[in-house]
Amino acid sequence: MRVAICEDSALFREGMVRLLTEAGFQVAAAVDDAETLLALVGEDRPDVAVLDIRLPPTHTDEGLRAARTLRRRHPEIGVLVLSQYVRVSYAVELLGGGVEGVGYLLKDRVSDLAEFAAAIRRVGSGGSALDPVVVEQLVSRHRQPDDPLIQLTGRERDVLHLMAEGRTNLAIAERLAIAERTVEKHCTNIFGKLGLEAGPHDHRRVLAVLRYLNA
Amino acid sequence: MAVIRDAGSAGAALAEPTGPARIGVIDRRIPPGVRMTVRPRIATAAITASAVAAWLFLVALPEGHRGPLWTLGVVVGVSFLGTGITAWRLHPRNRVGPLMAAVGIAWLPQQFLIGTAAPPPLVVWLGACGLWAGLACHLFLAYPTGRLDGLPSRILVGAAYAESVVLPGAAAAARADLPEPLRSLPPLVDGIRWQTVVVTGAAVVGLSVLRWREGSVAQRHAVTPVVAASLVATVAFVADHVAAGWGWGMQPLFVYTMFGAFITVPLAYLGSLIRRRIDHGRVADLVVRLRSRKQPDGLENALAAVLHDPTLRVGYWTADQDRYVDTEGGPVDLPPKESGRVMTRVDRGGARLAVLLHDAALLEQPLLVEAACAAASLALENERLTADLKARLRQLAASRARMLRWGEAERRRIERDLHDGVQQRLLSVAMTLGLAEATARPDRRDALIGEAKASVLAALDDLRAVSHGIHPPVLTERGLPGAVKELAAVAPVPVECVIDAVEPLPPAVESAAYYIVNEALANVTKHARANRAWVRLARSEDRLEVEIGDDGRGGADPARGSGLRGLAHRAEANGGRLRLDSRKDGGTVLRVTMPCA
Repeated sequence: MRVAICEDSALFREGMVRLLTEAGFQVAAAVDDAETLLALVGEDRPDVAVLDIRLPPTHTDEGLRAARTLRRRHPEIGVLVLSQYVRVSYAVELLGGGVEGVGYLLKDRVSDLAEFAAAIRRVGSGGSALDPVVVEQLVSRHRQPDDPLIQLTGRERDVLHLMAEGRTNLAIAERLAIAERTVEKHCTNIFGKLGLEAGPHDHRRVLAVLRYLNA
Repeated sequence: MAVIRDAGSAGAALAEPTGPARIGVIDRRIPPGVRMTVRPRIATAAITASAVAAWLFLVALPEGHRGPLWTLGVVVGVSFLGTGITAWRLHPRNRVGPLMAAVGIAWLPQQFLIGTAAPPPLVVWLGACGLWAGLACHLFLAYPTGRLDGLPSRILVGAAYAESVVLPGAAAAARADLPEPLRSLPPLVDGIRWQTVVVTGAAVVGLSVLRWREGSVAQRHAVTPVVAASLVATVAFVADHVAAGWGWGMQPLFVYTMFGAFITVPLAYLGSLIRRRIDHGRVADLVVRLRSRKQPDGLENALAAVLHDPTLRVGYWTADQDRYVDTEGGPVDLPPKESGRVMTRVDRGGARLAVLLHDAALLEQPLLVEAACAAASLALENERLTADLKARLRQLAASRARMLRWGEAERRRIERDLHDGVQQRLLSVAMTLGLAEATARPDRRDALIGEAKASVLAALDDLRAVSHGIHPPVLTERGLPGAVKELAAVAPVPVECVIDAVEPLPPAVESAAYYIVNEALANVTKHARANRAWVRLARSEDRLEVEIGDDGRGGADPARGSGLRGLAHRAEANGGRLRLDSRKDGGTVLRVTMPCA
């Protein structure tokens, strides 16, 4: 899997290159500003672009804006935003009503190489990777009193939470120390309670997550 | 030029907007409570006519020894009557005038007794001979307002009226040849005459002194001559009766004293009326004085001198701070109700200018106050500008000191947070890694490395918290609009954001606005029990307007709790101001404007 990195701190950038190479990724490019990244992605299409939010020239939200542009221009390329802080409003903006090929993680997550590598792979193959902190913040926002999510059991909620982080049923089963079949059963219950009918392309997982994230 | 008077009540009446319709207002219509059955002019004519008739009748009396006492008595009657009519014409609403005139008229029958050895034949006539004493008592206790205040005064005046009819009546009846069993009663009443007079007289003197002592400096200043003369007259009247009762030979001395004091009463009153006229004349003098004024308190002193109220204070309006301040910019406390202090508001061209805090006694002279305010209005305006400037400087100095203290406290807090948090954690990382380096067992080494990693992540968390405290990162990344949206997104209550183009903003203003919105939304969550809230950011020319509202239970009070005061201080530190509109029946809106040019 080919990864493009955009990070203005040389220390973190070089660390990432080492880390990702170690984890078996091919680092297509490592640049320090969004303009260069956007130009580069157009020619040399990587599978995933990993960006910081604060980038030159103003060091404000260049990375976030570039991520949105990327998602609009190249929906097939996964976009993973890394930041020192996570913000609900940024998450809502980044998702833009879809959770395909998108990720938003705290920079701290690079410390767990296996988890981090798995997150990049998911984003690169059209899945998602949302930081637990982001999910927590999105979920705890105000809700309508008649929200069907209130009917979910504690365990179903745990499953949905991990689903929202972008994890597969197998990963959820491992995390919760239960059988994968049990996770599948929980999923069916969740879809039923949220009133999501099975369709030709099983889109229910995405819809359930979006409903859960209140996005 | 408008003078709006408000006796004692501070906030409520002052808060009312005053349109051009109220310019020049001193309400001189007769309020419904005051009974005026006879129009003054008709009254004057009637009284003058009857007085002339009465005096013609008296002068034409063929007999009687018209000695010095008789002449003095004539002067007493004339002076009371004349002063009474003059006062009545000058101040038709004040009952002192008619009361004086009535005393003058009631005095007339008394003249029959002077120098006459034998009593006149008419018992009824004699009954009216003492009525002047009741009226005089009424006048003394009702002076200077013309009203009797309180039950003791009313009871005493009622008793005096009763005595003034009964006692002379009884004296006359005792001499008349009445049939039994009526014959024994009048001497009985006549027998306790001087005792009754002593009791009543002492009560009048006591009550007068009490009222005089309760009065303010300005009130005493105005009433002392008349009150003193009344007291002397009363004491002499009582002494005359005691002397008569005990058969002393000093009666003429007391009678002359009483007559003399009696003449002084209307003269003193006339004097006070004339002095008022002179005071009006001194207003012109005020204009000249104000032109050459040097000291800062000159205006206040000049007004105090012209209005004869040494306690007079001037409060200048500062629209910016929504309150009255003195010449040094310090706040002026408005008097509470029932404090005896009165506020007179001075406007100029429909705009609030100042407020005079003065003695209630000045309410007796509304025209003088109005004239003085009119003469001083230009000076008041100048002084107001200076006071306003000084008030701003004061606020600025206080705000700067507060910000310095706050900044210092913040720096200390950050240093402590770094020392107790991040530094300790990184130290433990170094220690753990040192241990890992030294250990020979691979499983032990892995555990130590894991521990070190956990510490580093915790240190990162600590640092995030510290830097958020220093400056919210979202403000750096997204500016105020984005930061406000983030605050709205994480608020537990649905928050609607209406955000106009407000940027670019000075960093200090941006920061202050962020903390104000943050704190206000936290208050909505904590206290308001609201279903929805809104934040509005707008910019009009060079001012940033921030509004945070909710539909909660309202009743927020900036005086309680330091949170709202802290917000106000933040706004003030940026030259802005905060207004809170929180109704008792629900809903709170906080508005902050800050200059952002």
